[in-house]
Amino acid sequence: MFEQTARRTEPSRRRARGGLPLYLVAGAMISAIFVVPLLWEILRSFQAPGEIISPPSLKSFSNLGFHNYVELLSSDDILRNVMNSLIVAVATSAITALVATLAGYGFGRFKFRGSSLAFALVLLAFMVPFQAVLTPLFLELHYLHLLNSLPGLALFYTAFNLPFGTYLMRNTFLQIPNELVDAAEVDGASIMSTLTRVLRPMVVPGIATTVLYAFLFSWTEFLGALTFTTNDSVYTLPVALVNVESSDTYGQINYGVLVAGAVIAMIPCIIIYVALQRYYVRGLVSGAVKG
Amino acid sequence: MPRPTSPVRAAPFSGGPRSLSAKPVGRSRARARREARAAYALIAPAIAIVGVFILYPLGFGVYISFTNWPLIGPISWIGGANYTALIHNTVFIHSILFTLEYTAIVTVPILVFGYLLAVFVRSNRRGSTLFRTCFFLPFIIGLSTLSFLIYVELQPGFGTVNVVLSKLHIVGINTPWTASTGLALTAICILVVWFASGLTMMLLMAGMQSIPEQLYESAGIDGASWWQSERMITIPLLRRSIVLSLVISIIGSLLAFNQFFIITDGGPGSSTQSVVMQIYETFNASMSVGSASAMSVVLVAVVGFITFLQIHFLSRDDV
Repeated sequence: MFEQTARRTEPSRRRARGGLPLYLVAGAMISAIFVVPLLWEILRSFQAPGEIISPPSLKSFSNLGFHNYVELLSSDDILRNVMNSLIVAVATSAITALVATLAGYGFGRFKFRGSSLAFALVLLAFMVPFQAVLTPLFLELHYLHLLNSLPGLALFYTAFNLPFGTYLMRNTFLQIPNELVDAAEVDGASIMSTLTRVLRPMVVPGIATTVLYAFLFSWTEFLGALTFTTNDSVYTLPVALVNVESSDTYGQINYGVLVAGAVIAMIPCIIIYVALQRYYVRGLVSGAVKG
Repeated sequence: MPRPTSPVRAAPFSGGPRSLSAKPVGRSRARARREARAAYALIAPAIAIVGVFILYPLGFGVYISFTNWPLIGPISWIGGANYTALIHNTVFIHSILFTLEYTAIVTVPILVFGYLLAVFVRSNRRGSTLFRTCFFLPFIIGLSTLSFLIYVELQPGFGTVNVVLSKLHIVGINTPWTASTGLALTAICILVVWFASGLTMMLLMAGMQSIPEQLYESAGIDGASWWQSERMITIPLLRRSIVLSLVISIIGSLLAFNQFFIITDGGPGSSTQSVVMQIYETFNASMSVGSASAMSVVLVAVVGFITFLQIHFLSRDDV
């Protein structure tokens, strides 16, 4: 019908309301509320230490440089903490992606006794906020000698990313037509080679979503890392920044280093999100995230 | 009709787990067994990790909450004593009230701003994708990083917040934001609304985009105003997304920790201590394992109850 074609070829009246220039100007102004403070902090991180603690003025931005970054990476040894964060985030993403893909394959493509009970356990785990099991988990990690250890932290993050990952990967596998798998079976492909050769291209978007959520979670997580590490050498970046915030080396907090450290924490999130955002939105649509 | 001898899948539809109920004969029964074994192997790592690091601690925590759990010496069962002690623990009660107050303050603004942002970016006009990204950036960066930054900018004398607000003659340049409960809560609430509105926007936008365009067109023909069509079409059809985003935001607020720990450290006094922070302090500073576990159990129960309400509300809604 003509109405339908009209709807498809040109934007509806509701969408067309207000001219495009007006929309772009309004959008830019609202965007400024969210983006300008972040850009401002990036600019502040290049101020000299003495200037960052004087009221911002034109003069206090005359001497921009890498002072804070140099100090942060040399004297405060935060480079190690950045590396810790990176190791934990990469390991968490990799293990979560692998384990969730296997589990999603199992739940999504096979019928077996106990399947719904096992999946109910995953959903139950999905509802448990990690904030509420930190005390027993601390004792457990202590017995397992996984306190103050990067593998321990990565396992903790993996566990709390797995329920969502498994749920997402199960849905991903459920959407694959049976005919495709059957054809592979007729060709005599084994269960694992069906996964790696036939199904892989179709589940890669799901894996990307899982990796993205796991990475962002473990890169920014604070409370768990604060609870399970008590040793400078295994601190992740956010925990190390608490030390900067509370350390009174000369009766003075080094605000420049704090801002520079926070900017370092911020940059990977922005880059990864901007590069992979369509996978992020997929995750939001397919299941809830936890706040 | 002759039954086919080769194993043929019974289900004509695509998708869904393989149906093995299609009368397995001979070879296919062996395959069913083999596939079940494979499936157990596939899900085993996930079940093991989730079991060891989430479900076991959950049960272990409940057990601990009924014991005295001393650091040294024998563990003894003390029944509900940890729980009755909580009722008389004024600091804990205060942290509950404070967390509820904080949740009550931020929830509606997050929903309203998130809704308005979603309305702004829901159409696929030029620029809307970029705007979406911009509005969502604070959420992606995370509250811990943002809290460190706002901590610096709230400092008296040189923090940007004070400098800007004093130029506008709203507050003095030396306003000590973290030294007053009201000021600290105000600053943190503004930070959190700014941080979390993008998430609500994303959730509501996804729901809005699934509303058929024809509905708005016929409303437009009937002469409905923008607000009328929002109220009569969008909001009723968006109920599920609204409930979902409300639940996510409320649970997030009830579990708040980073912003209070980093910006105020619970102060002044313990007036801005959230529940999770209170649990952290009870465990970390005073090493009261049993008491901290009892608080955690209360928290799990509350969060679980809200999730249950959500599922209940949404499933009743479907009928």
